[in-house]
Amino acid sequence: MDTLYWLLAANAVVWIGFGAYLAFLAGRERALALRLARWERSARG
Amino acid sequence: MPKLLALAGGAALAGCQWLVWCYAPEEATLGLMQKIFYVHLPLAWWALISFFVVFLGSLAVLARRSEAADRLCAAAAEVGVLFSGLTLLTGMIWARRSWGVWWTWDPRLSTALVMWFIYAAYLLLRGLDMAPERRRTVCAVVGVAAFLDVPLVFVSARIWRSIHPAVFASRGGGLEPEMKLTAVACVAAMGLFWAALVWLRKRQLDLAARLEAADADED
Amino acid sequence: MLRLSLAIARKDLVLTLVRGNGLVQALLLGLLLLFVFSLAQAPGEKVGPQAAAAMFWLASAFSQVLIFNRLYDVEEANGARLGLALLPAPVQGVWLGKLAAGLVLLLLAQAVFLPAALVFLGQDLVAHPFTGLAILALVDAGMCALGSLLGALAQGQSGRESLLGVVLFPLLTPLLLAGIGVGAQCLGAPAPDGPAAWLRLAAAFDAVFLGVGLVLFGFIYPGED
Repeated sequence: MDTLYWLLAANAVVWIGFGAYLAFLAGRERALALRLARWERSARG
Repeated sequence: MPKLLALAGGAALAGCQWLVWCYAPEEATLGLMQKIFYVHLPLAWWALISFFVVFLGSLAVLARRSEAADRLCAAAAEVGVLFSGLTLLTGMIWARRSWGVWWTWDPRLSTALVMWFIYAAYLLLRGLDMAPERRRTVCAVVGVAAFLDVPLVFVSARIWRSIHPAVFASRGGGLEPEMKLTAVACVAAMGLFWAALVWLRKRQLDLAARLEAADADED
Repeated sequence: MLRLSLAIARKDLVLTLVRGNGLVQALLLGLLLLFVFSLAQAPGEKVGPQAAAAMFWLASAFSQVLIFNRLYDVEEANGARLGLALLPAPVQGVWLGKLAAGLVLLLLAQAVFLPAALVFLGQDLVAHPFTGLAILALVDAGMCALGSLLGALAQGQSGRESLLGVVLFPLLTPLLLAGIGVGAQCLGAPAPDGPAAWLRLAAAFDAVFLGVGLVLFGFIYPGED
């Protein structure tokens, strides 16, 4: 049982790591979309 | 397309979970804990491959002044640092459980740590406020030097350890066929996921560079 | 190219040793490190040979960062860097010249650190004078080859001392391990395998990074303003 906890902890670490990077990517994506929208507005208007 | 790849990678990883928990038999000596291996090994391999990609990209930057290769290097280095960091953490948890210590001077472990340091410094260098042209060459030079350092680090860690008495027996040697199949599947699934991450990041950097150029045109 | 290197090395040594105070800072930092580390000994206890060797190389590594920053800082004023780059000689001559100057300065600093380490950390130098000198030469050569390359890279950056350290130290790991391994043996640590493997490793490191420096230096020097 104890081993299972350690195992869960290890897997949790991996998924937290992936999740954090994916969240970072999503944040970047949103910032880029905002910038793109602003640029398109300024390019047209 | 990269989103599709990410989905495929995620699905493959989920499928591998089934292989890991239900299909692969329990290791005789290492017990249940050995199942970390199926995450640990693919992470380590793809981290190393990321750094190899950084090396190749750096060569392309130096030889052809390619900006796209520079952005590929940035994406691969980020994912590589993430993967090697996770390799270290899973390895530490495994070591704590099986050997009773968080850290030991195992050659592979120390090599992974030194690589993590080197490429973290590389990312730091990328984040600096420099003229873009200059940053590209500087990072490429470090990218080449860093990868050439890796075998030296590994050999030195091995010699270092042989001076000390061997406290821990080497990890289990031969794998059973089911385990091997599971491990290969995990490496492949992680590869899909890795490719998706690098691709996504590269595309973001491409877009950012295009926007940068467009802004510069307007000014 | 060799004439250029010699001229640069001589110029830098004169500028640093005769007119400047570049080495004083490196020396003080290294000595201070050794002194602070000597606090690791409990009263009546002695630091082990391996710890002493590690402290010696750490002091050397830190002073090396200061030395190469200083050496590349010399040309920052008045666009002297461009003047050097415009000389009708391969730009690698600059790398080699800085390498030689750095090597001399580092050896001078180590000539102070070695007795200091022996005194502060209560060590005895046990035999092996030839092995000790060989590893010193090999490790210093590798450190300076890489330091000369990366020093040019950090040039003109704010916070470049710590930047150079952060990039340089992990890359130097194999070399520092070799220096510490053999240094511990010279201070009397038992060594069943002898220093041969370390000497080979340090020589391989030197070969790789002398080649890397020679090939890649042209890309990053002189940079731009």
